Amino acid sequence: MLISLNWLSDYVDCSLSTESIAEGLTMAGLEVEAISVRHPQLKNVVTARIEAVEPHPNADRLKICLVRAHARGGELLRIVCGAPNARAGVVAPLALPGAELSGGVVREAKVRGEVSGGMLCSRKELGLGEDHGGIWILSAETAVGVALDEALGIRDVLMEIGITPNRGDCLSFMGIAREVAALCKTAARYPASAVEESGPPIDSLTSVTIEDAQGCPRYGARLICGVKVGPSPDWLKDRVEAVGVRSINNIVDVTNYVMMELGQPLHAFDFNRLREKRIVVRTARAGERFTTLDSVEREPGEGTVMICDGVGPVAIGGVMGGLNSEIAPDTCDVLLESAYFNPVSIRRTSRALGLKTEASYRFERGTDPDGVPRALDRAAELMRRVGGGRVAAGRIDVLPHPIAASEVELRCERVNRLLGTSLACDEMKEYLESIEMRVEKTAPGLLRVRVPGFRSDITREVDLAEELARLSGYDRIPVTSPLASVHAADCDPRQMVRARAKELLIGAGFFEVINYSFIASDALGKLRYSDTDTVPAPIRVKNPLSDEQGVMRTTLMPGLLDNARHNIDHRSENFKIFELSKVFLPAGQGPGAEEIQHLAGIMAGNRSPLALYGEAEVDFADVKGVVEQICAFLRTEELRFRAESLPPWLEPSASASVYVSGQRVGELGSVHRDVLQACDVKRPLLAFRLDFDGLLDLRGPVPLYRGVPKFPPVPRDLALIAEERIPVEEPLEFIRSLKEPLVESVEIFDIFKSEQIGAGKKSIGYRFTYRAADRSLTDEEVNTVHGQLIAKVTARFGVSLR
Amino acid sequence: MKEAVENLLETACRALSELGEDSKALDLARVRFLGRKGELAQLFKELGKVSEQERREAGRLLNEAKARLETLFSEALEKRRELDSAGRQAIDVSVPGRRAPLGRLHPISQTAAEICRIFNWLGFETVEGPEIELDYYNFEALNIPRDHPARDMQDTFYISEDVVLRTHTSPLQVRTMEKRKPPVRVIAPGRTYRRDSDVTHTPMFHQVEGLMVGKEISFGDLKGILTTFVHQMFGKGVALRFRPSFFPFTEPSAEVDIECVMCRGKGCRVCKSTGWLEILGSGMVDPEVYKYVDYDPEEITGFAFGMGIERIAMLKFGIDDLRLFFENDLRFLRQF
Repeated sequence: MLISLNWLSDYVDCSLSTESIAEGLTMAGLEVEAISVRHPQLKNVVTARIEAVEPHPNADRLKICLVRAHARGGELLRIVCGAPNARAGVVAPLALPGAELSGGVVREAKVRGEVSGGMLCSRKELGLGEDHGGIWILSAETAVGVALDEALGIRDVLMEIGITPNRGDCLSFMGIAREVAALCKTAARYPASAVEESGPPIDSLTSVTIEDAQGCPRYGARLICGVKVGPSPDWLKDRVEAVGVRSINNIVDVTNYVMMELGQPLHAFDFNRLREKRIVVRTARAGERFTTLDSVEREPGEGTVMICDGVGPVAIGGVMGGLNSEIAPDTCDVLLESAYFNPVSIRRTSRALGLKTEASYRFERGTDPDGVPRALDRAAELMRRVGGGRVAAGRIDVLPHPIAASEVELRCERVNRLLGTSLACDEMKEYLESIEMRVEKTAPGLLRVRVPGFRSDITREVDLAEELARLSGYDRIPVTSPLASVHAADCDPRQMVRARAKELLIGAGFFEVINYSFIASDALGKLRYSDTDTVPAPIRVKNPLSDEQGVMRTTLMPGLLDNARHNIDHRSENFKIFELSKVFLPAGQGPGAEEIQHLAGIMAGNRSPLALYGEAEVDFADVKGVVEQICAFLRTEELRFRAESLPPWLEPSASASVYVSGQRVGELGSVHRDVLQACDVKRPLLAFRLDFDGLLDLRGPVPLYRGVPKFPPVPRDLALIAEERIPVEEPLEFIRSLKEPLVESVEIFDIFKSEQIGAGKKSIGYRFTYRAADRSLTDEEVNTVHGQLIAKVTARFGVSLR
Repeated sequence: MKEAVENLLETACRALSELGEDSKALDLARVRFLGRKGELAQLFKELGKVSEQERREAGRLLNEAKARLETLFSEALEKRRELDSAGRQAIDVSVPGRRAPLGRLHPISQTAAEICRIFNWLGFETVEGPEIELDYYNFEALNIPRDHPARDMQDTFYISEDVVLRTHTSPLQVRTMEKRKPPVRVIAPGRTYRRDSDVTHTPMFHQVEGLMVGKEISFGDLKGILTTFVHQMFGKGVALRFRPSFFPFTEPSAEVDIECVMCRGKGCRVCKSTGWLEILGSGMVDPEVYKYVDYDPEEITGFAFGMGIERIAMLKFGIDDLRLFFENDLRFLRQF
């Protein structure tokens, strides 16, 4: 809401400075977002008298004006000017150096060899009109040497105030004036609403029927006959333009003016274009079409409040008038509407039609049903004055059911407890009265408050508590500490494990990324999923900002791949990134989706952060190591990797699925080259993905202490020559399955191939650690057991001992 | 005996002076003279053969010789060590360490964790909820009916007529109270979505919601808890300002401004010369909301608040462009 302080001063006297008013309004919940001067371009523009005119020595068309720009004394300024009407004795606006006109900043400059100390201006140059025929000759009585806006009486300050949706009452000068009055401990002044009536009684000329009292609880009308439609007088034009409303003509400008003044939207009909010269308020019929003022044909839809004449619609109630009855240059008689519409109904209509107007904006926030007649009278009188018509006697005011003012009981003690304040009951009464509430003390500590019609937001005690809090000042409410019973905040173990898993990855050199939860509609296609794949179709966003954000992600990979592309393109080629966050699977529990936590990461480039220690690139073992590390951290059991059931975005020859306790929990490996190409990634990538929620369910139990071994370990190695296709883990699993009690652990320490071993073969070195819990093992004992194990392994795998 | 001892000392001195730079030789020499079977030990053994009268004197001589030898050898050792360290090529300590790589948490995660940590200390439990949310929880039960202008305050992504991407973390207020009896003290961080994208808005962002409800919880307590939070988060001296505002689910409602952390309230580009920064919305839970969760508004009062994590992170780290958070550029992420 744009407020002109000049205009505002019609309704309230306040001696506070502009800044104090702004601060006060902000702290009362009406946030002053900006303060500006009305005509910033008039800074450094003063009134000046041309004392004498000399010819310009170097140009026939130019002259040098000797100008007085000081009230008394001072030197005469030499101003070069080409305007034919610049002559001695006239007073005109002078832009001094520094003035920022629309054409540019005025500077002291040489014009054809002669220094000019400023510029005498036309109306157009000052942005105050279209006239460019010469300099603007001001009235001869105009004081010289004063700021032009001051001399013209158009110096004004504008405040941009953000009005929250609950404060529809502040969408007017009167509303703001009431708040300023409360601030300044004074009373707001309402504009005079006496009407000079001179025609026959309105009842004899027209009628109003309300058929939809639900949508339109009150409808008032006045008739102004014999008006002359034309441009508005300067004062009216200036005011509506001051707050950013385009001046149309005197009649329409009055409706806008009064809406801005009182907050009551009005509509003016050309009375003679109303068929049967009457108004009927009803709901729209199915399929009914109607052309609004903006020349758009619309279908308001059933239930919309329509203002009709004797035959059909002439306006969409509370939203916009119709082309068929608008004020035209030849309009002679005006029917003026001032009504109260149901806020919900107006909002529905406005949304359904996609049509927001100054009127609908106010009606949907709740206007003052009691303010209907005042606005009607005020506008009728103004129309008479600026349009020259006669106002028919009396007004029509149809009100099928009386609209009761809301009355609220207020328990002073309760309010103090809610706010933590200790306001006296009388103090509360005073505060509420300062915003035009009628307050009665019905019992000790009990107030009955009659809420004025314009405050439709106040219906409960708690609403009054807010008024008291803001009127007395939020800053005056003491800062206290709540009394609460001590209880440990429960902690969701999943949150904790997630946080710790993140720390683990960070320790492994990973950077956390955060990507949008929506992905492109074709993102799964880029991951080589086809429609026949049994992956769930992602949940669609009905109104996405773009197709790039069309669906909710079912996988974290698209985001990570895009991060990889971005970083590689920006020459960060060695990186490890991960995201631990939600994906959204259709159906399941939850309102629309099953939301589960996934963990996925991408590795690229060098393993070591320093080239000094090698420039080897990360490989499968690195990414596998990350997954193993996470599983070790979670104490999962039976971690297995198998090259099967792979998603299409992985290279089949260099990837594996991850199983924990027999359950598939994710996958890892090299990203498929077609995927890299589709995602525009220019370097190979390794990736892993884990169903983190699933993995958490497979967490191992809290470990029980088993004692520290007292006797020394005995190591033994085994080197096998095996078929290359045999996974190194298979003999290992076999050895473990034998459950030899003396074997504490077995690990692979060496894998190699060579010509000596032969083609299609590899050598695998296994290191056994033997240990007994109750004694030191002898070499003989260990050799016997080790020999037996070797025999079993050889028999099983047909591998030869190197 | 005396002669033998003097001989021994002389030999030892000569041997030490002829040692050269070999540190092994020093060890050998030490064994030769002072070892368990060394030359001195041999002399001690011969002590038994010495006559009673001379034994006392011989013993004294031997002990003196032993002390003398030990001094000589420890001096030699000391000298040897000095020579060793002077002679050895010292390592270049400026060579970079062979360190494991270290990553970083995203600044939003860091900020969210910090906010939650402060409230956890104050006894607020962290809770989570769905991001694809029912209209009922996101709006209806928060006193934002379908045909209320307050819906315009948030541009919403829809999944279907009744399902939205949550526009704020406030649905957690209702979800939590629905499940629990008062008193309730929770904090709810998470992703939120609004259909808005420009220099200062991203379609996805993060919020933290807080809720404290129980008996006798006042607006003064709201001020107390949030003041504690701001002082923990931004430093003890930072001024706060509570300003009336409007949220359909709180009454009274308050925006909380803090003294600009960039210019200390003097006025700068970040605070648009006001000296204040808006950092969170708050208020006393509106009795309408209690009706949806079956709490008695006469019995129970409390407050709720919500803040944008990006906003706090930008202030905390001095980040001037919101969009950086979701670009995930390593050159950005490495800085935190």
